[in-house]
Amino acid sequence: MTAALEAAGISVSFGAVRALQGVDLVVGAGKLVGLIGPNGAGKTTFVDAITGFVQSSGSVHLQGQDISKLPPHRRAHLGLVRTWQTIELFDDLTVQENLAVAGGRPSLVSTVADVVFGREPRAEQTAEEVLGLFDLQEVAPEMPSNLSQGRRKLVGIARALAAGPSLLLLDEPAAGLDTQESGDLGRKLRRLVDNGLPTLLIDHDMGLVLGICDEIYVLDFGKVIAHGTPDEVRSNPDVLAAYLGKSGQAQAGATWPAVAEGTRER
Amino acid sequence: MLSLEKVSAGYGQSDVIRDIDLEVRPGEIVTLLGPNGAGKTTTLRVISGHVKQSRGTVRLKGHDLAHLSPTQRARAGIAHVPEGRGIFFGLTVAEHLRLGYRGETIDPKVVYTYFPALRELRDRPAGLLSGGEQQMLAVARNLARSPELLLLDELSLGLAPLLVEGLLPVVRDYSRERNCGVLLVEQHVPLALEVADHCYVLSHGDVVLHEPAERLRDDPELLVESYLGGSAAKETLAT
Amino acid sequence: MASQIFAYAIIGLGSGALISGVGLGVVLSYRGSGVINLSTGAIAMLAGYCYWALATGEFGVTFATGWAIVLTLLFSAVVGIVFELGVVRPLRRQPPLAKLVATLGILLSAQAAIVLAFGDTAHPQPSILPGGNVTLFGVTVPDYNLWMAAIILAAALVVVAVYRWTRFGIGTRAAAENEAYATLFGLSPNRYSMGNTVAMALVMGLVGMLAASIAEVDPTTLVLLIVPGLAAAMFGRLTAFTTTYVAGIVIGMAESVLLYLSTQSWFPTSNGGPLPGVDELLVLLVLVVATFFRAGKIPSRGDIVESRLPRAPRPVAPLRTAAVFVPIAALAMWVLPFGFREGLITSCIFAVSLLSLVVVTGYLGQLSLVQLGLAGVAGFLVSHLSTNFGIGFPWAAIVGVVAAAVLGVGFGFPALRVRGVQLAVVTLAATVALETFWFSNGSWGAGVLGASVPAPSLFGFDFGTNASFHGLGGGEPSPLFGWFCLIVLVVVALLVANLRRSRLGQQMLAVRANERAAAATGVNVRNVKLTGFGIAAGIAGVSGVLLSYSYGSITASSFSALIAVALVAFVYITGITSVPGGVFGGIIYSGGIFAFALLDWFGLQGNWLNLIVGFLVVLSLISRPEGGATFLFYGKHPSLWARAPKKAQSTLPPSGTAHGGTAHGATAHGAHEGNQHGLAPVEAEVTS
Repeated sequence: MTAALEAAGISVSFGAVRALQGVDLVVGAGKLVGLIGPNGAGKTTFVDAITGFVQSSGSVHLQGQDISKLPPHRRAHLGLVRTWQTIELFDDLTVQENLAVAGGRPSLVSTVADVVFGREPRAEQTAEEVLGLFDLQEVAPEMPSNLSQGRRKLVGIARALAAGPSLLLLDEPAAGLDTQESGDLGRKLRRLVDNGLPTLLIDHDMGLVLGICDEIYVLDFGKVIAHGTPDEVRSNPDVLAAYLGKSGQAQAGATWPAVAEGTRER
Repeated sequence: MLSLEKVSAGYGQSDVIRDIDLEVRPGEIVTLLGPNGAGKTTTLRVISGHVKQSRGTVRLKGHDLAHLSPTQRARAGIAHVPEGRGIFFGLTVAEHLRLGYRGETIDPKVVYTYFPALRELRDRPAGLLSGGEQQMLAVARNLARSPELLLLDELSLGLAPLLVEGLLPVVRDYSRERNCGVLLVEQHVPLALEVADHCYVLSHGDVVLHEPAERLRDDPELLVESYLGGSAAKETLAT
Repeated sequence: MASQIFAYAIIGLGSGALISGVGLGVVLSYRGSGVINLSTGAIAMLAGYCYWALATGEFGVTFATGWAIVLTLLFSAVVGIVFELGVVRPLRRQPPLAKLVATLGILLSAQAAIVLAFGDTAHPQPSILPGGNVTLFGVTVPDYNLWMAAIILAAALVVVAVYRWTRFGIGTRAAAENEAYATLFGLSPNRYSMGNTVAMALVMGLVGMLAASIAEVDPTTLVLLIVPGLAAAMFGRLTAFTTTYVAGIVIGMAESVLLYLSTQSWFPTSNGGPLPGVDELLVLLVLVVATFFRAGKIPSRGDIVESRLPRAPRPVAPLRTAAVFVPIAALAMWVLPFGFREGLITSCIFAVSLLSLVVVTGYLGQLSLVQLGLAGVAGFLVSHLSTNFGIGFPWAAIVGVVAAAVLGVGFGFPALRVRGVQLAVVTLAATVALETFWFSNGSWGAGVLGASVPAPSLFGFDFGTNASFHGLGGGEPSPLFGWFCLIVLVVVALLVANLRRSRLGQQMLAVRANERAAAATGVNVRNVKLTGFGIAAGIAGVSGVLLSYSYGSITASSFSALIAVALVAFVYITGITSVPGGVFGGIIYSGGIFAFALLDWFGLQGNWLNLIVGFLVVLSLISRPEGGATFLFYGKHPSLWARAPKKAQSTLPPSGTAHGGTAHGATAHGAHEGNQHGLAPVEAEVTS
């Protein structure tokens, strides 16, 4: 079976800084894959590279198709859809219109007809469903700026879903959410993936990522330092060292022995 | 010296931090830990006045800071090294040490005593310094202001931890010698715990742990529990 | 010949110095406060008039040269302080585009004030420089040219020294690089902003007085010096004072040499005279080159920007609104006396013109000052096709509109790379170049006298301005033409309203809000922009066609840069993001029905309106950025009524996205955050 996303040897440099150094990452069909790593490890840069917003070397295949040379909007047409850490809603459009922009690709004829006859573009069915999924129906006519941070995050994800993704890239969807919202979001994501939408989830909420992902990649200083199931990653001393500080690495075994036990109880 | 009482703040309508109580005493290093998005940076911004709190009080030496602008707070003795360093790439090292508001005296000697390496780089624009040197300059420039309170945000961001390992003991010495309070946000936990006196852990905007740093050094399990596995994890797994 | 060229080059030092001076002012404004200040030339003009008035005893007291100079500089400083407190500071947290529009308002007000006070004729003013000659390499030229260049050079060097060595200068550089970081150090950006604005005003004072040596005072010359001045400043990346100085001098010399070359027999001629507008074309070229190859390196400020363009509300029931207003206007055309009727017709035409700004700026977020120029292109084509080729209505009109649209798409291409304020700058220069090179040209344009346009008629039915039907009000223009214009306006207005409701309109607003997010959701940013530019240009073309028919002849002066500026100012106060904003902008536009009423009832000239509107722009940007008409029509819409909560209270860049440890890393990071005009140029970043 073709992988939903296959990124090979992705490297990105900003001037002298090598932000990503040959990252290989695969999201299998129907899988929820986590990407974690300390602040500044290059996670967002990876998403930018995959979606075509920064120049990178290496290859990106979406459902087996090489998309490495395509501009971002073409990648989106093919179903590679992302959210943003900073949400990036269209603040001048209502929630509904935000979803409509993502959902519709108007033909020339229909555009001319809309403008000449003053037709209202009909709400796409997917947009309606997505709003329902996140309980956003009642805020559909609102401007995004009137919503809470948590709601805005959800609108960002809803907009991505309205674009009809074949692979969803979520960049820190839980940052800024409270504990309950974050747990809610996790359950919804899991359900989406179980219904067949492969997803790459980046987040700092370790509980969320370890709790719901099928496999996890760990990035540090632009390189993949670990890859495996949540249990494997959890018990990997390198990961803990990367997360809690490199200086702990030498004594990782000694200083943080309790980790494995601490998590085992769950 | 610095005290936060039941401070909530955020962007737009929702709060990123909720009912935070926190205290920093003179000559003491307090570290603020927690995963990304927990509200650490927001807390620092509230203190330096770049984010307004929606509730609660921030006091410096007993004075309520509510009506002071960021500029006024800086002049009242709060030095804030933000994420991204807060220095000016177009200015040389020496020019950073001349930079100051009217009437402010900056002592370049402080800088060169604590960070002798900067003396040789004095005529180099900050944009051409290495990341570690930039961070050194950022800290040095703020020490030169003789602050009452120093806020440090993720010094190690994008740097090799080794570099920060060199920086923090200098901050430690300065803080003790000059009786300056330090609030340190840091993702390299052992590094932070090594120099800190007290430790707060934030998770999803709440203080979930407040202990003397010594205790956490001795018993890391306490920290790992609140840091790595949140209640969110349990909840998610439970359902 | 070589010695002649040399002589002209030296003579060009004088005007070059003025250009450099205006350029320095632009750079000072930008570094001090991040404002692209299009009113520097206007401030120089104010100083010029001040000196003239003091030195010639216009106010009853004649001052000696020295005193007049001192007082003029003092006056300039005061103008600077007022400008800082009244414009720069209140708009500190507004997006760059709003700041630029505010300076356009000040330009308009300053110019109108001078015309009201001293008329629009030129006055000779005494020179402040000695009137001797100097001989260089066997060529004798007036030495004031050298003096002017030297004085402005001295000013530039003083500024450079201050920036390099003083605490104030270092602080300015720091605040310009990142204002939020500067406040963390306890620096006060307001203080630096004030200092630089006053410095700008003083340099403009110098320019205004020095200009006396080579020109009389008049209300336009110095104002429009902003165009070459901007070209010089762009070459200095709005940052480097010496580069700006040199670029200004070179432009001045090149223009002077061109003047000499135009006397040569081989120089292209037009109607017996040398081809006009070549130097404006040169300036446009310089500006285009500068924006394309240097602008990418213009440092953006780490600014604290709170708001973007005002929201563009979705029209609820455009047909119903039209059904209310159209019968009233149609009736008015029939019953009103001819003066009011003419005003109403002009209002309709300019409303169409403003609707093109609603599309390109309000929906698409690109400030284009060339829309009036595109209208001119269509108008002149109609004139030529009719008089030279016998092609009349409707074919000439259709060709004109299509040509404008095609040209508009052409202007859209640079807009893919050049955004926001820089686009405004380039299009301003393009408008000046179109006016002088094309519209004033004797053979292709109208020359000085104007080109005639035959009345429009269809199947032998004449509905031009001088049709025989005169309605109840009597006199010309005929209500038939009025109804024609009204129908066109209604059609355009409905199309623009529908556009906002359509998918394409939503995509435009998505692009306006956030280019990167738009691309990520599958919007083809490039196509949407080009389409928007094409539609807007077509609408501008329609207004140009109507304009050409409305007077029976067409002149270059109807399409001048200053009118383009005025149009932007008017539509900003009524609302640049909505159809009612555009229509009401046309109604109050000077020359329209409101202006005629003011003149007829109160004897107030159109310049009074311009004066007030210029100030109102600043006021409206501060207090009601969506504009009066937009507010009236959509203010009570539920989702709009609830004012947005203050967004982004944080003044520091968003956390957590930083990467990299050097200047390069940080630049890349900065580009991601972008400014109010969307973010990093998607096309440029991604392709290749």
